[in-house]
Amino acid sequence: MDALKQALHLLFSLDPELLQILGVTMRMSFFSTTLSCLVGLPLGALIGTRSFRGKAVLKKLIHTLMGLPPVVAGLLVYALFTHYGPFGRLNLLFTVRVMVVAQCLLIIPVVTGLTASFVEQSTRAVIDTAKGMGLSRRRVLFLCLSESRTSLLSVVLNAFGRSIAEVGAVSIVGGNIQWKTRVMTTAIMLETNKGNFSFALALGLILLLLAFVVNVAASFVVREVRDD
Amino acid sequence: MIEVYDLKKTYRDRTVLDLPALSLRQGETLALAGANGSGKTTLLRLLAGTLKPTAGTVKTAAPVLYLPQKSYAFRGTVLQNVLLGINGRKQQALDLLEQLELRSLAGKKASSLSGGELQRLSVCRLLIRPCRLLLLDEPTSACDPQSAALVLQALAAYREKTGCTLVLSTHTPRVALEAAERLLILRDGKPEADGAPQTLLQSPGSDWMRAFVAGWRI
Repeated sequence: MDALKQALHLLFSLDPELLQILGVTMRMSFFSTTLSCLVGLPLGALIGTRSFRGKAVLKKLIHTLMGLPPVVAGLLVYALFTHYGPFGRLNLLFTVRVMVVAQCLLIIPVVTGLTASFVEQSTRAVIDTAKGMGLSRRRVLFLCLSESRTSLLSVVLNAFGRSIAEVGAVSIVGGNIQWKTRVMTTAIMLETNKGNFSFALALGLILLLLAFVVNVAASFVVREVRDD
Repeated sequence: MIEVYDLKKTYRDRTVLDLPALSLRQGETLALAGANGSGKTTLLRLLAGTLKPTAGTVKTAAPVLYLPQKSYAFRGTVLQNVLLGINGRKQQALDLLEQLELRSLAGKKASSLSGGELQRLSVCRLLIRPCRLLLLDEPTSACDPQSAALVLQALAAYREKTGCTLVLSTHTPRVALEAAERLLILRDGKPEADGAPQTLLQSPGSDWMRAFVAGWRI
């Protein structure tokens, strides 16, 4: 109950630090989800609709990367962007941008793998019918995406969920710096380590509320799409 | 026009089609018959180019239109389905829907159609486009006798207009008799008999053919 009261108090008092953390969380999740979907959706659609040599190996590789531990992704991105790393000159370590890069490394395989599976399972009939009608390849691909858009929306939500809940990679490359790279998950981790359980729980409830609001909004979009 | 030589399709160690030769002139009509798994759909898909042969050559006149066995309703209305990928020609689409007794459903969602209606819509979607080779996989399997007659009439009108070659698979002797001048019966992926439908049905050459013809739905 204390946690709930504290969560409500934090929200309604418009605590500046909480608002800043929420802002960073949303910015990071928005960009990592958008970039991952821009790459993963077309890539997954291509893998799902085409037959080519090495497809089975590629799918196994993607499925393996779908389970990539966040700390490993974080470590890899840290090694790339650290002062002595190949991208060290960009000076991006401990910024929101590099947190987005680390998250993309985790989310692109998820979006690609799920899209390929959805497209492969649900669009065989679409492809056969559309090709049989003599439609162009581009049109067939467009139809595949259009016909499975409800499923694809759930892929996008999955990507957003993965992004908003991720803690391992962002804490390594972002550093959990107050007023700069602190996000909800790393803030929860910090407060738990400090022994502020009720405050951590309050932050957890706010994170849950945020995920709930996004899901409700998405369910309205899905309904619109279904009715279309 | 179709020219096929030494066509084979194998899945691992199972040969599903082994056709030494098949030749059809432009404008000729062929019905494919045979039990389930005899290779009808495989042959149609190989001719349509949606399946790659394990061996052999397939030469067909383009453009080719192909109706898969399983009908699919795209999102949108019945009319939008017919006009998919086509600019204009709304009146032609409506006339075609009229011909197949779907005009009253033109504004309805395609996903709300019954199996037989959806199959007629699938035929409509093809017949609005020109082609030189029309391949249909069991185009009347979900239709009642009246609807099947409508489909056959529409096909005859389309053939007269375009002069296309028609290959269709069927489990119904009536369809083979009405729509095709030639019947190819497949057995375990190999040609068992090839000739005029009337002749093959009236005087089947072998015991297997007699049993097959007797078992065909009349």
